[in-house]
Amino acid sequence: MDFTEPVVLVLTSLADGPKHGYALAKDIEDFAGAKLGPGTLYGALSRLEDRGWIEALPSDDRRRPYRITAAGADCLAKHLKAAQRVATTGLSRLDLRPTI
Amino acid sequence: MRKDQPWPVALLSAYPADWRARYGDELELLIADLRAGGRAPIPMAFDLLCGAVAAWVRIERRTLMSQRSRNALISVLWSWVAFAAVAAWFGHDLAIYPSALKVAQIDPSHPAVPDAYHVLLAAGAVGVAATALAAITFAINAIGYARRCGRRSTFVLMAVPVVIAGGWLGGLRLLPAGNFTVGNLTLAVGWLLLGVAGIAGSTQAVVTVIRSTEFSERTWRIGGVAAAAVTAVMVVATGATITWGVAERASQVHRGDASGWLIVTAIMAVTTARAVIALIGARREPAGKPVAA
Repeated sequence: MDFTEPVVLVLTSLADGPKHGYALAKDIEDFAGAKLGPGTLYGALSRLEDRGWIEALPSDDRRRPYRITAAGADCLAKHLKAAQRVATTGLSRLDLRPTI
Repeated sequence: MRKDQPWPVALLSAYPADWRARYGDELELLIADLRAGGRAPIPMAFDLLCGAVAAWVRIERRTLMSQRSRNALISVLWSWVAFAAVAAWFGHDLAIYPSALKVAQIDPSHPAVPDAYHVLLAAGAVGVAATALAAITFAINAIGYARRCGRRSTFVLMAVPVVIAGGWLGGLRLLPAGNFTVGNLTLAVGWLLLGVAGIAGSTQAVVTVIRSTEFSERTWRIGGVAAAAVTAVMVVATGATITWGVAERASQVHRGDASGWLIVTAIMAVTTARAVIALIGARREPAGKPVAA
């Protein structure tokens, strides 16, 4: 599955515990400044659930919480480490760039 | 849609019914919560429409993939059954396959010829293992689906191969042996033909289960791997049979004509080609056009 931005944001948000749709949207807005629309958010949730990277938890009301699975956490960790290497390299090269 | 709900909720009807049944309630609440939190309705509506298009595209793609996998798998299954039946029965009956003794006799004069006997044994073991893995996976999935949907016919169809195999093998023991009268030979040939019909009937029962069951993506993936494995087995076994047959006829070991070997290898080659074409066709077929079985 492609690591689109919404997928990474949802997995990152769920990394510190289960959340339902609205809590996810607020959390993502807080830590990333991104306002995910409801269609985008649930599109990512359905893809992640199909893939087995998140799972829905039982709930008494209609706000169903989701949690990240071990496979999802593993894939997120690998993706973030790779992204971190790219970010570190890019930033260091920007620092080396001669100023005009 | 209730009067107190924000108007973008109405756009949920643009989503596929299955998707709505699973996520509709949650999404409806999220829209209401976001609207109550001050989110503007027009960008939200645009986002919902994009989400609906993406959901439809995903469902279409999944259906198409499922149909391709299903048709390719059924083609490979028929090819594999025909191949295995010919290889196991006729090959054995006509004493076409090399024995360890024959291999030992051929080897000194043809050291470059691979040990087809062992290649065939290994290929057969891989083929049986791949078939068993796929059969168990599909059977578990089909049983679960039949229970959920109350399809009793699935259980009946799944019992067909077991009942036919049991009945045929049981009847085989009752056939008279060693006395080559016209009556006994007729009975034996009739039983053999009944066995061929039983194999075809059992395969058709399995195909009907495959066509009428919704399998998970994981099951299709396992089926795809098994289909690729048995197709590879067919290629290797056909090559080994040809190699061994040519080697034996080039050596001093061979006695008799080559017609049986030629017929068997021809059937093996044709069924192998059918399986290879089915697998390649399933991968190459452009989107929007299902592969014919």
